[in-house]
Amino acid sequence: MTASSFPPVQISGITHRFGGRRALTEVDLEVTAGRIVGLVGPNGSGKTTLLKVTAGLLQPWSGSVRLFGSDPQRDRVAVMERARFALAPPPLFEALTAREHLHHLGNLGNLGRAARVGRREVERALDTVELLHRADDRVGTFSFGMRQRLTLAQALVPMPDLLVLDEPTDGLDPLAILELRAVLKGLRDEHGVSILLSSHLLIEIDELVDRMAVLAEGRVIFEGAPMELRAEGRGVEVRVDDVERARRIFEAHGIVVRTVVDDALMLEGELDLEGARTLLRNAGLDLRAFHTVQPSLERALIDRLRRHRAEDAGDDGVVGAAP
Amino acid sequence: MIARLELLRLWRSRRPVLAAGALAFFVGLMLLGFYTYAQTETSGAAEFEYTVENPSYFNGLTFALYAFYFGFLLVLPIFGATEGGAQIASDTARGTMNLYLTRPVTRARVFFTKVAVAAGFMTLLVGLFLSFALLIGLLLIGWGDLDLYPGVLQMTDRHQHLDQTEALWRFAFAWPAASLALLAPLTLSFLVSTWTRNAVNAVGAAVALYLILYVIAEIHLFEDLRPWLFTSYMSYWRALFQEEIDVAAMLRDAASVTGFTVLFLALAFRRFRRREER
Repeated sequence: MTASSFPPVQISGITHRFGGRRALTEVDLEVTAGRIVGLVGPNGSGKTTLLKVTAGLLQPWSGSVRLFGSDPQRDRVAVMERARFALAPPPLFEALTAREHLHHLGNLGNLGRAARVGRREVERALDTVELLHRADDRVGTFSFGMRQRLTLAQALVPMPDLLVLDEPTDGLDPLAILELRAVLKGLRDEHGVSILLSSHLLIEIDELVDRMAVLAEGRVIFEGAPMELRAEGRGVEVRVDDVERARRIFEAHGIVVRTVVDDALMLEGELDLEGARTLLRNAGLDLRAFHTVQPSLERALIDRLRRHRAEDAGDDGVVGAAP
Repeated sequence: MIARLELLRLWRSRRPVLAAGALAFFVGLMLLGFYTYAQTETSGAAEFEYTVENPSYFNGLTFALYAFYFGFLLVLPIFGATEGGAQIASDTARGTMNLYLTRPVTRARVFFTKVAVAAGFMTLLVGLFLSFALLIGLLLIGWGDLDLYPGVLQMTDRHQHLDQTEALWRFAFAWPAASLALLAPLTLSFLVSTWTRNAVNAVGAAVALYLILYVIAEIHLFEDLRPWLFTSYMSYWRALFQEEIDVAAMLRDAASVTGFTVLFLALAFRRFRRREER
């Protein structure tokens, strides 16, 4: 395998602990070249820890991280020549101007004269994040959103092959989020940059990423395209007058009841209208409503997380309360 | 490039200006202290007034030496500890250390650049302090030869006389010698700084450690411990103000201080190289 044929990110069986608390457990993740991969999960699920392990800032207890085939701790200099990180909250040198920031950070390392980051490249990066008009202002005067954009800009000089972003949309207004989305798509499509990003904004994930990984309590509980997660959450919602009896009937016929909310049951998988009506009629129950449900990514994610928690708690997966 | 960035950050932090102001203020306080002492404690035996050729025992050179001695013991090590704390713990607390560590530079380069910048800054402060003390002493108190007598400061155990030009040369040599001695508390603060993620804790702990070790080195009860404390060797530069300099003893003490500096640096770097950036 040549150096260029290694995937930008290859994480295998990573486990990490903070003292006695396990933060990551057997995490596998791969970012292939020219793809955007999203990392989602509730607060404390291990997203930032995983990104810091990826950056080589944390030493995993077991497993391996390879960026372009190299260990980010042992071969840090070689890795960081191709990878760039924008971690959260945005760490910046308060006393420097935006221009100085990009110029000095961009030129760290043993760059040859030809590879040095010049004025034009600094201004290109600042323009990309709409900060060119504040190029000579000190970072200490910037709002959180501007700092977030500058953190992204510093990661773009010089142009990397891999970009790792921790919550890049935090603190950005809706217009800035739209612009960021366009920037990231442009980096992927025009420059072939591979991107690994974490985000709470599922709309962003849905619109932007090629693949996603869902982390919960330090484990990857889903890995695939957003569409696959939504498909996983597809089901049939039926409304009946006696939900408890209906639940027992469906379960007796091997149909998984995902949730019970008021007079509605959410059934997993495919079930046709006639089959449901027949089952209920034979038990003397009336089918009041029936429709297939294609959940939003957010709904599908919440269902997936709830199922994970229920499985962890040894529950049967039936939840009786509305979200 | 990392050195240029560190120097720019140091300058923009205003620490050099604040430090220079604090040193000038300290010299001013010392001047006031000596003035009060001359007026109230010596019953006129020590003259405290400007003369171009001040013939009294107490002149500008004496003032400069005593001011520098106090500054070396009390003020400059605190600046050293602050610098160590600012360089590592502060960057860690603010997350800016990660800006360096996610760039193609080695940890060794990051660490030793910071040490070099802090050591350079410390040397500059020592030079500034000496210059302030001499300038204020010579301009406001007066010129003359340097006479030292046995006293509470234990600068000498017999009368020492250095003519004015020779004394000024000794001050010039005291600059690098004292700067070298102050590298020990500076690197100690780097060591403390690599173990904590809070700059205030790092500075506080480093200052406290220095003061405790200094006091222990001065108390006769702990005489057996003295060889093991870097503070026992730090004042070796005072030998420069003897008529006959014991060069061998000076070099021995300078080597001891350097040994402690290297040890603190090695331990600090070992910790910095292996630690996690949470």
